[in-house]
Amino acid sequence: MADAVKSSGTEIPPDAWIAGVQGAEFKTLIDTKRRSIVPMIVIFVVGYMGLSVLAGFGRGILGIKVLGPVNLGFALIAGNYVMSWVLAVVYARISANSHDPLVKVVAAKARSSGGAR
Amino acid sequence: MNIVTIGMFAAILLISLGITAWAARRTRTTADFYAAGKGLTAVQNGFALAGDWCSAAAFLGFTGLTALYGMDGALYAVGPLVAFCTVLLLIAEPLRNTGTYTIGDVIMYRMRQPPALAAAIIGTIVINLAYLIPQMAGGGVLIKLLFGLRYDVSVMLVGLGMIVYVAAGGMLATSWVQIVKAILMLGAGFVVLFLSLKGVGFDPLALFASAEAKAGPSFLLPGNLLKNPFDEVSLGLGYMLGLAGLPHVMTRFYTVPDATTARRSAIWVMFLAGTFFACTTIFGLAAVHYLGPEALRVGNPGGNLTLPLLAQYLGGGKGTAGGDLMLGFVSAVAVATILAVVAGLTLATSGAVANDLYVNLIRKGKVEEHQQVLVARITAVVVGVVATLLGILAEGVNVAVLVILAICIAASANFPVLALSLFWRRFNTSGVIGGMGLGLISSVGLALIGPAYLGPHALWPLVNPTVVALPLGILGAVLGSFIGRRDHEHEKRFGEVTFRIQTGLRSRS
Repeated sequence: MADAVKSSGTEIPPDAWIAGVQGAEFKTLIDTKRRSIVPMIVIFVVGYMGLSVLAGFGRGILGIKVLGPVNLGFALIAGNYVMSWVLAVVYARISANSHDPLVKVVAAKARSSGGAR
Repeated sequence: MNIVTIGMFAAILLISLGITAWAARRTRTTADFYAAGKGLTAVQNGFALAGDWCSAAAFLGFTGLTALYGMDGALYAVGPLVAFCTVLLLIAEPLRNTGTYTIGDVIMYRMRQPPALAAAIIGTIVINLAYLIPQMAGGGVLIKLLFGLRYDVSVMLVGLGMIVYVAAGGMLATSWVQIVKAILMLGAGFVVLFLSLKGVGFDPLALFASAEAKAGPSFLLPGNLLKNPFDEVSLGLGYMLGLAGLPHVMTRFYTVPDATTARRSAIWVMFLAGTFFACTTIFGLAAVHYLGPEALRVGNPGGNLTLPLLAQYLGGGKGTAGGDLMLGFVSAVAVATILAVVAGLTLATSGAVANDLYVNLIRKGKVEEHQQVLVARITAVVVGVVATLLGILAEGVNVAVLVILAICIAASANFPVLALSLFWRRFNTSGVIGGMGLGLISSVGLALIGPAYLGPHALWPLVNPTVVALPLGILGAVLGSFIGRRDHEHEKRFGEVTFRIQTGLRSRS
């Protein structure tokens, strides 16, 4: 029985996606997602690849002491941990508050579009 | 070897077998076998992901690398966390929305052509075997060391354990074995962290100062292990994109009911595993502080015994009850880690063989449900036996190259194909073959002629060829797509693919 409930929730009529992808709600969803995800990708790629490139080519720079015995390299490594965790929490909030409700609207519309068949 | 180790080892084995027996009775359908009935919660899957992602290479390796090579070890440890940013933002939810049991499912759903699926199967099997063999060999060495058994007998014991877990209990048993192992590992990590910091008055900066004083001024600089600057860049690129191409970690996202839960489980693993990875850096510095750099180099070439030695010291030292207890605990957790990770790898490999190759490619999906489960179980046994034999043959071979190779192929061949399948309209079957082919050939070829395999006689300077193989993999995928005949029907269907990626809604057929 659980299976029947599940599949009715995720299956839509064969051509419902055509109206679905053209709908204004779907375009809003894609735009909203892009606006939040792209900057986050830029942040971690720059943050992490920056560290990796400096580890290879900026060894003197990473050796500069910033906090007692701790040098810039270890500070940036710590920064990468914090960056990843902050991005995870921020993404969780944004997707729960703005992406998920939009998905629900799009899904409800696509599911109900079978009625007019 | 001591009585505590045997006791803990026996307890972990009994718990795992109990879980397997319980799971075996509940595993009836293919969804049960490959995806634990898609019924895990975010927390459960988060712990299981942490179990899968913290292999022995992470658990023992990162600590040892930090103790022997300083900052390069810390760079090894932070990458696996950042890797989850890629997975969280780009891969986890689309993967959960489009696939059923394997990465091959996603490729087949997008391309609907057997050659594309065949390419995905080859990628999965090569990566998993490259990952599996070093784990088997590592497990063999560890058990040999702990119990004084012969190497081949030790590897066979590891193989037997994983075959029982996987063939009998499928993903449900594998997941719960991972969860138990992750809890034990985090527990052990917490105790070692507490004792390490207690000795220096809970001032981690003192560990940095002491490590630098004892191991020399260059210890806290990068480049002690990865001499070639491009190897540091390869390491970063490999981690950032390779995780998303590792089939045994990605299939975990199929064990949850929906994309929202997949996302939440990714966030859990980032905190669980990330904290643990950060701790390995502290452990490495603590080992230098307490044991001294010379003591760590004796009989510990790869640094893999650093954490057990540190735990023994912190417990009170060799021969004391506390020292034995700590050594036994950490060693038992290490064995549990290896068993759990090889089980996950075996399951993902049997998914590629039984579900992708046999059911979808050879039989075109026309196999009865109960027969599919039987085929999956038989495949798990066969994969397990093959892995055990390869593990035995790997004795004495430098297996470190294989782990690098697995991540490099995952980043250079699997990741471009997976990401382009999900997000590029023009991508097609020729692109899959081009990307998988060029990514795979350049990774394997360059790794085999590099210093990790040929040592001083290397024909190519980098240990990790990702920095070259990844662009080649992408180039292969893009060129392949343009060379292949343009198929407008296929491109039109991309709308349906996008709709399903974003919403999880499937068109009724």
